[in-house]
Amino acid sequence: MRQIALYGKGGIGKSTTSANLSAAFSEKNLSVMQIGCDPKHDSTRMLMHGRWIPTVLEQMYEKKDIKEEDIIFEGFGGVRCVEAGGPEPGIGCAGRGIIATFQLLEKMKALFGDVVVYDVLGDVVCGGFALPMRDGYAEEVYLVTSGELMSLYAANNISKAVARLSGRSSAKCKLGGVICNAKNMDNEYELVKEFAERIGSKLICYIPRSKSVQAAEVNRMTVIEHDPSSEQADVYRKCADSILNNTDFRIPNPLSLEELEDLARKYL
Amino acid sequence: MQESISEKRLGGCALGGSLAVTSFIRDGITIIHSPQGCAHQMFSAYHAMAADSDSFSIPKVIVSNITNREVIFGGEEALLEALDRADAENPALISVVTSCVPETIGDDVEGVCASHAAADKIVYVPASGFLGGSSQDGENIALISISKRACPAEVVPRTAVIIGEKNLESEVEENYAEVCRLLSRLGITVSLRFCRNISAADIGLLGTADFFIIRDERVEEAGVDIANRFGRPYVSSFPKGLTGCVSFIREAGLACGISEAEIMEAVSAEEEYQEEQLSIFRELSGMKVYLGFEPFAGCHAVAREAIERLGIIEDADGMEIKLPFYLPVGLSGVLKMLYLWRREKRR
Repeated sequence: MRQIALYGKGGIGKSTTSANLSAAFSEKNLSVMQIGCDPKHDSTRMLMHGRWIPTVLEQMYEKKDIKEEDIIFEGFGGVRCVEAGGPEPGIGCAGRGIIATFQLLEKMKALFGDVVVYDVLGDVVCGGFALPMRDGYAEEVYLVTSGELMSLYAANNISKAVARLSGRSSAKCKLGGVICNAKNMDNEYELVKEFAERIGSKLICYIPRSKSVQAAEVNRMTVIEHDPSSEQADVYRKCADSILNNTDFRIPNPLSLEELEDLARKYL
Repeated sequence: MQESISEKRLGGCALGGSLAVTSFIRDGITIIHSPQGCAHQMFSAYHAMAADSDSFSIPKVIVSNITNREVIFGGEEALLEALDRADAENPALISVVTSCVPETIGDDVEGVCASHAAADKIVYVPASGFLGGSSQDGENIALISISKRACPAEVVPRTAVIIGEKNLESEVEENYAEVCRLLSRLGITVSLRFCRNISAADIGLLGTADFFIIRDERVEEAGVDIANRFGRPYVSSFPKGLTGCVSFIREAGLACGISEAEIMEAVSAEEEYQEEQLSIFRELSGMKVYLGFEPFAGCHAVAREAIERLGIIEDADGMEIKLPFYLPVGLSGVLKMLYLWRREKRR
């Protein structure tokens, strides 16, 4: 079983990328599970044709005898979709919610399949959001970023968490690579590629900005389902292949802020 | 002796300290906004200590019962439910004391309290469990929070308010009686014991105090805060030992603006009374004693003063004498200690 986690700045396109990757994996007849680890619980919506599925945390406290069918829903390509859920903004502890979700999934033995994709909230703000990287869950972390400085900054911060966690003797998690979800900036490919290399990793795929993504989303589908013959669908397929063929997992060396700013200036 | 952090922690977290204050408002209810376990631990410790000091009244305490669900989704609804339950009992005051859990997850406890229908009688006590510090810190937090319900009012001359008595101490009433005895030499009465067996309405008397008496260094933070807020003088602790009684009378007299002549008269009367009481123990004169372990900071100083006054000899080879666990308050505390010494000598 391959367990991969996608981390990156909020709004960078992690859920879109995750859903399209899950769809692409499913085309290869792989058994796929996607777990949205964000209180916004919108990670799997495109796989579910716009449906907001009940979250694990809602069901956990509403049902006495919770079953798999209460929290795992089949989406496009047979992808098993799960949303952790969490509190409303500004209240409670979303990190604790992620921990509780994983404890339940573990207890139910619901984590199985050929590929499990964890789509995690924007930044590793606390130990709860680092959980998908710990305790033997995701063994490969992919950083989703564009060439914008703040996006790289977030990716660099997440690589610090990966470095910290992967340095532990019991850790299995390593950095699998960087996914560039482009904003179509000048020199963006070169910038993100160098960033990936400077932190000791590699650019695993470059996803250009495309109107087909927006077209698929307004029709509540992944690109792979909505426009399977499009160039963008092929981009996601190639990205999925790169991930499946990837065997090079590293402990990253995060950059200092000065190094990161120097790098961004270089490609202005 | 300055307590280290770890020593302070032996008394538990701030939640316990706050509970030891709010539980002594007779017509009030305390809501502990915490998991059940915290409330159980704190209440068990409270009950054991209260029983040890012959206090068998059971305070009204409600727990909001924070579970995993409240940690994830926030404990504000659980608190609202607890407030409703408390309000249904129609108490005069509802003290909401927090543990570390709601403060860690960021519950807006103050906002919930302020928005409740019974907001006028709710006091938020942000004890915050271990985040708030030690039990001592919890007492200060509770005293300060509750005192804010009182407004400055016209001073009632020659009245004092005691701040922060050790409610769970075994000799709390004897110590109070001793303080009253000394104050009576100047015609001063205690208008409020803040907070010991008071009603919620009594809290308003804080504003009428001519001066405040802070129980001891433990609650100095709250005592000084309250005194400054009301702009009134304060005496910094209960009297410690024999000379402590005399200085206590002086300080109280000056705080009330009593004339020097009247103070001197009260001091002379007290010194005369002390001599009379000490004479009961003249048989201890010449006895060789050894002061062992000091159970409470300041005990040795109080004991040495009595040793000197009675002509007792301190000697490393002398009889090891018992010292009270708590610092003796005033003459009555010293006399109690001397009774113990005499009993040991006669044995």
